[in-house]
Amino acid sequence: MIQISSEAGRSVARLEGEFTIYQAAESKPPLMAAIADSEELEINLAGVTEIDSAGLQLLLLAKREALRTGKSVRLVAHSEATLAVIDLLGLAGYFGDPLVLRA
Amino acid sequence: MSSNPALNEARDTFFAESREMLQVIEDTLLALESNAADDETINALFRAAHTIKGSAGLFDFERIVRFTHVVESVLQRVRDGAIRLLPPLVSLLLVCGDQIAALLAEAEADTLAKSPAPHPNTDAHGAELVAQLNDYLAPAAAGGALLRTADPIAEPVPAAHGGVASEHWHISVRFGPDVLRNGMDPLSFVRYLGSLGRLISVSTVFDGMPDAATMDPETCYLGFEIALMTDADRQTIADAFEFVRDDCALRILPPHSKLAEYVQLIAAMPEDDIRLGELLVRSGSLTEAELAAGLSAQGQRRVPGEAPPQLGEILLGQQSVEAPVLNAALDKQLRVRERVAQESRFVRVRADKLDQLINLVGELVVASAGVNLRALALKDAALQEATASLTHLVEQIRDDALQLRMVQLAETFNRFNRIVRDTARELGKEIELQIEGGDTELDKTMVEKLADPLMHLVRNAIDHGIEAPEVRAAAGKPRCGTLTLAACHDSGSIVITVRDDGAGLSRERLLKKGIERGLVAPGDQLSDSEVFNLIFAPGFSTAQTVTELSGRGVGMDVVKRNIQALRGVVSLGSEPGRGTTVTMRLPLTLAIIDGFLVGVAGAMFVVPQELVIECIEAPALDLQQDYLNLRGEVLPFLRLDQMLGSVGEPVATRNTRRSSVVVVRTGSGKAGLLVDSLHGEFHTVIKPLGKLFQNIRGVSDATILGNGEVALVLDVSALVGSAATRLQGGTVPAHGSRALAQAV
Amino acid sequence: MSALTQTAPARLQAGESGETSRQYLAFMLGGELYAVEILRIKEIIEYGALTTVPMMPSFVRGVINLRGSVLPVIDLQARFGRAPTQVAKRTCIVIVEIHSDAEDAASQSQTIGVMVDAVNEVVEINANQIEPPPSFGVKIRPDFIAGMGKLGKQFVILLELDKVLSVDEMASLAVQSASAPAAEQALLERNAGD
Repeated sequence: MIQISSEAGRSVARLEGEFTIYQAAESKPPLMAAIADSEELEINLAGVTEIDSAGLQLLLLAKREALRTGKSVRLVAHSEATLAVIDLLGLAGYFGDPLVLRA
Repeated sequence: MSSNPALNEARDTFFAESREMLQVIEDTLLALESNAADDETINALFRAAHTIKGSAGLFDFERIVRFTHVVESVLQRVRDGAIRLLPPLVSLLLVCGDQIAALLAEAEADTLAKSPAPHPNTDAHGAELVAQLNDYLAPAAAGGALLRTADPIAEPVPAAHGGVASEHWHISVRFGPDVLRNGMDPLSFVRYLGSLGRLISVSTVFDGMPDAATMDPETCYLGFEIALMTDADRQTIADAFEFVRDDCALRILPPHSKLAEYVQLIAAMPEDDIRLGELLVRSGSLTEAELAAGLSAQGQRRVPGEAPPQLGEILLGQQSVEAPVLNAALDKQLRVRERVAQESRFVRVRADKLDQLINLVGELVVASAGVNLRALALKDAALQEATASLTHLVEQIRDDALQLRMVQLAETFNRFNRIVRDTARELGKEIELQIEGGDTELDKTMVEKLADPLMHLVRNAIDHGIEAPEVRAAAGKPRCGTLTLAACHDSGSIVITVRDDGAGLSRERLLKKGIERGLVAPGDQLSDSEVFNLIFAPGFSTAQTVTELSGRGVGMDVVKRNIQALRGVVSLGSEPGRGTTVTMRLPLTLAIIDGFLVGVAGAMFVVPQELVIECIEAPALDLQQDYLNLRGEVLPFLRLDQMLGSVGEPVATRNTRRSSVVVVRTGSGKAGLLVDSLHGEFHTVIKPLGKLFQNIRGVSDATILGNGEVALVLDVSALVGSAATRLQGGTVPAHGSRALAQAV
Repeated sequence: MSALTQTAPARLQAGESGETSRQYLAFMLGGELYAVEILRIKEIIEYGALTTVPMMPSFVRGVINLRGSVLPVIDLQARFGRAPTQVAKRTCIVIVEIHSDAEDAASQSQTIGVMVDAVNEVVEINANQIEPPPSFGVKIRPDFIAGMGKLGKQFVILLELDKVLSVDEMASLAVQSASAPAAEQALLERNAGD
C-alpha cells in the first residue's frame, strides 16, 4: 500500500506492507505522479515487510526518473527487507541515500 | 480486443515490425544459399527471431512465442557452432519463416475478431515443422544437461595459460521480460548464488528499462554482473538458474578465464551506454582500486589547454589492463554510439498523416500561385519579387514533402528473390535473379501498385520465357537463366524493365494468333514491334497450357491496364532465342503532375509532361487525313476538339485558327494531339475526380490551376485507344488508323 | 464564394408536436418547390467557375474547386429529364453529402454539388405532415421522391437524395452517353419519365 502526503514543503510516499509484483501495477501510477507533482519526494520504507524485484524496479524507476527530471528522490527509514535487497545488489551507491547499517 | 488505443497502436507496430524482421530473416537466408555464413549474419538471424519472440510475449501471443522459441533455439545452436547452416536447414528455416508469418496474420485477425478462432491447419503444420526443428536440437541431448542453458559455460583454465588474475567466478545474467510474470524473482537467484560461496560484487543492470510512461511494472528489466567466490563446480552454479533457463541470457566464466572469454562477454552484453570504467570493473578485469588509481592519474596528468586523456589511454599507459580487452570495450562503446545514431536517423510516420501534409502543401502551392497572379496584375515590382521568392520556397517545400513518400525499389525487387527461387525450383528450372538500380526511388503508393504487374511479368518470364536447363544447354546457352529487374530515371520518368535471356517471342506465332483473334487482317504489314505489342490485347494468350502460375486469361492486358492506371506506358521487345524485355515507363509520382496546359475549344486540359515529346505548329490541314508528316515519320493525330465534344463552342468545319500539335509517347510509338493553343508547363497537385467520373475514357484526373480553376488531365492512351476502336468500325481504314491501332 | 444564410425563421407546422419533425431546406427548381433534409447539407455557395467535363451526360454540369477538393455539380432539372437550368442571378450550388452502400468505407459518403434556381428557407415539417408520393402526376421518377410535405396550402416535393444523386447510377449513364450522344437524351428522358 502506498500513501502520498505533503509534509514540510515536500512530498512523502509511505510504503506499507508488501511491495512485490502483486502491488507493482497499482503502485506505479501514484509513485510517478508524486514525482511529477513535486520537486522533492521522500519514499519512506519503514513499513515495507517484503520487497521483490518488481518492487525494486519501481524504486529504480523512481530514482531514474528523478535524476532525469532534475528532482530529488530519497529513500529513508529502510526496513530490514529493503536494506537486505539494496545490500545484496550493491545498490547503495546508486540510490545514494544514507543507510543505517547493521552492526 | 482491447479498447486501449495506446495498446492497439503498440500492437499494430508489433505486427509491422515483426513482418519487417521476417523479411530480414528471409533475405538473409536466401543470401546464405550463395554465400557462406559469417558470425554477423547468424547473429542477425538470431536477433531477429529473438526480437519477434520477445515482443510477441509482451502481447501474449502464445502460439507465436512457442513456435518462434524453437526456431530461436535452433539458431542459438547455429550461433554456438553446434550445428552448421547447410542448405537443408536453410530451406527448413525459410518455411518456418512462412509459418511465423501465418501465425502473425492469424494473431492479427484474432485481435480484430470478437473471439479468437481455432486454427487447426496452421497448428498441424507448425507441429510438423517443430518436429523437424527438434531433430536439429536432439543430437546434443547426449552431451548432458548443459544443452538447455541459454549460453555456454566455459571450461576453467589454470592461471598458467594466460588467464586473468581474478580468482572469482564471473556470472553475467540478463533476465527475460516474462520472468516476473512467470512467478520467478531474480533476487532469489542472486541470493542463492550467495549461498554457494561469497558474493564479491553484484552490479545491477537495468538499462533496458524504458521510460516511465512505457515501463510495465510486471515486466522484468533486470540483469546482473556478479563476481562470486566459491568452491562449487560449474554445474552447481548453472543449476542455480534451472527454473529460468529459458528465460534468461546467462554466461558463466570460471576463475582465471582466458582473456578472450572476457572479450567475448563484453561483446555479448546487451546494449547499454556504460562508461568504459564501469564496463571493465563489472567484467572483473579491473579492481576498484586500479580504476580509482587510473582516475586520479587522469586528473593529475592534465596539462592546461589540453583535452584530458581518455580513460582507456591512461589505463594502457599504466599497464593495468590487457590491451585486447580494452579495445573490445572501446569498440563496443563506439558501436553502441553508432547504433544509437543510426536508430535515430529514422522516424516512423503514418502514411495518412504524410498524405494529409502533402495535401496541405498542395493547397499552399495553389494559394501562393494565386498571390503571384495578383502581384503580376498589380504591376508592383517589389511585390512581384517578394511573391516570386515565396513561390520558389513553397515549391521547394512541396518537392521535399513529396520526397518523404519516395521509397527505394530495392525492397520490392528483393521480395522476388524468394519467388524466383521457389518458382524456378517448382518448374525444375535454374534461374538467377539480378537486380539493377534498386536504389531508384518511387512514390510509395505507386510502388505498392507496381507489385502486381511486376509479379505477373516475373512469373511469365519464369514460366514461358526461360527454358528448362536441358533445352538451354542444347541451344548452347548456360544452364542457369538470368532474370533481371532494373530501374532507372530518365528525363523525369522512371523506367523499369523485366528482362530475361530465355527463348524470346515467336513473331510468327503471335501474328498467327493476332489473325485468329481478328486483331490483324491477313494481308497487313506489321513491324516487329507492332507484332510483339499484340500481346497486350485482351484475352490474348499464346501459352500452350495456361499454367496455374500465370492464371487463366489474366494476361498482359491486365498488366497494361495497371500501368496505364499509373499514367504509364508499357512496351515489349524480343529477340527469338535470345530473350524478352518488358519496359514500363512511369511518372515519378501520382500526387503531382508535371503538366502541359493546352486549350481545346475554349477549355483547358493538361497533358502529362512525361508523355510529351515535342510541340509543333500544325500545318494547314486537309480534313480528310488525320495524319501528318513528321520529318519523314507518319504521325497520326487526334482532333481533340471533336473527341472532347460538347465542351464550349461548336466545331468549325475548317481549321482557320493556327493550331498546334502536341507529339506524345504511346505504347509503341507516337501520336499527335491537335489543340487550339499552348499554355506552357505547370507543376500542380492532382485531385481525384471521384466515382462519378470513373467510366469516362480520356480524362483521368483533375488538377487545380493557379487561378483556382479546375483543369482536366487527359488520359492519352485512352484517347488513342478509343479513336482506334472507332476507326476500326468504319469503312476503309486510312493508313493513319492502322498506325493508331498499333499505338494503343 | 460566399455562403447564403437562412432568410427567415423556420415555419412551424400547426398540429401536434412531439412527433418527429425535421428541418428541411426548400428551394426552387423550374418554378416548383422542392426540399432536402437539412442534415444532408454542408454549405451553399454562389454559382461560378465551373469546369465542364467532356463525355458526361448533360446533367453533370461540371466540377468546381471547393477549398482544394474537386466536386461534381449536378443540374437537377437535367437529371429529372428536363431542359438544363438557365443560370440566373439567384442560381446557386448546394453542397450535399450522399450515402451509398459501397463496400469500401471511402466511397460510402460522397460530397456533391447541386445546382438550384434559388434557395428559399429552412422549414420544419412534421412526420405526420408527409404524404406518400402519388403514382402519377408528379413528373419525376417516383423513386426520387421521399414524400410530399405539406407546407400550409402548398405541397413541397421532398427528394430522396441518395437516389437522385446515386453515383453508381449516374456513373453508368456516363458510359452510355460517351458512346452515343444522340441516344443519351432519349435514354435520359426515358429514365426520368418512368
